[in-house]
Amino acid sequence: MDTKQTRFLQLMEENKGILFKICKIYQDDADDRHDLLQEMTLQLWLAFDSYRAESKFSTWMYRVALNTAIAFFKKQKRRPDGEKIPIGFDRAEENTLAGEKEEQLIVFYKAVQQLNKVEKALVYLYMEDVPYDDIAASLGITPINVRVRINRLKTKLKEIINNMNYEYR
Amino acid sequence: MNIDELKDAWKNEEPKGMNFQAEVAMTSKTTSAVGKIRRNMKTEFIAVLVSYTMFTALMFYGVQSVLFFNVASIFMFIIIVLNCFYYFRFYHFYKSISRYDLNIKNSIRKITYELELNAEIYKTYNFCVTPLAVLITFVLLCGNNGLGFMHYVLASKAYISPLNLLIAFAIILISFVITYICINHHVRTQYGKYITELKQVMDDLGDEE
Repeated sequence: MDTKQTRFLQLMEENKGILFKICKIYQDDADDRHDLLQEMTLQLWLAFDSYRAESKFSTWMYRVALNTAIAFFKKQKRRPDGEKIPIGFDRAEENTLAGEKEEQLIVFYKAVQQLNKVEKALVYLYMEDVPYDDIAASLGITPINVRVRINRLKTKLKEIINNMNYEYR
Repeated sequence: MNIDELKDAWKNEEPKGMNFQAEVAMTSKTTSAVGKIRRNMKTEFIAVLVSYTMFTALMFYGVQSVLFFNVASIFMFIIIVLNCFYYFRFYHFYKSISRYDLNIKNSIRKITYELELNAEIYKTYNFCVTPLAVLITFVLLCGNNGLGFMHYVLASKAYISPLNLLIAFAIILISFVITYICINHHVRTQYGKYITELKQVMDDLGDEE
């Protein structure tokens, strides 16, 4: 294995959480998640030569990964993007989890599946506390627009989560 | 619950169940829209080579008509030249496709543009090539009648009658209509869904302050 490959794999291992979260946000089916993860890794590897150490690897990584996730088309015969998660889904599975926050996180991920691809990118960047200016630069929109969109996004998520019989404050 | 209060849980979440080998993914085939279309084009290119071989075999061993052989040879040569030109373009087109830009809006715009451009090149290519191929197939399918008609139209010393001229035009027109329907259907299935979805993303990224 050459030095470039070793370095790439090491950076991937250190930052795999980024890919994990983006996959969870963009795909709710395990097979689709795996396909997306594979595609993101491939695209990161193909683009690795363009990575300049001027910015953090994690920043470069989430930008390439989000680009890939947005332009990714799941295989046919699987549940299409537009299909809604049933309202009032069975919570028995989630109740086995230890913490209340973890359970809320599961609900949150289910709610996020009902957003469009751009909103999902916003959710990821917002949850990671990326500054608004950087979000604007990543998405190619203005910082004011980012603020407006995030406010709308919170309202939309609130509605979705309330419809799932969870209380959203 | 509130998403701001979830940030800590989000950041502390471990990538559980992530049984994944990056080494394998690095050598896998891309599933991107452009990648899929590139693979389809490769398959199509192989199919074209196979069909040329079959046509050539048929011309030499199947149809005993000097006129058909002469005309079909000329048509085949035109088709091969057109194919070489377009496949050369496709090859360069795919080679030149840039990787993702770090700005999502620019990146999606670029991919959409490239897909639309390729769809148009593909349509032009097929409008040039397919009617000629359809005409040759049409004559072959009509057997002796087709060959007889072709002989009458092309080898006669007299002017062609208006009725026969109309028949010839109708055949050419039909071949164009068949091409049009098939190509549009093919482009819609191959590119349509990708372009529509990417345009939707572009719309979602449109400024709305």
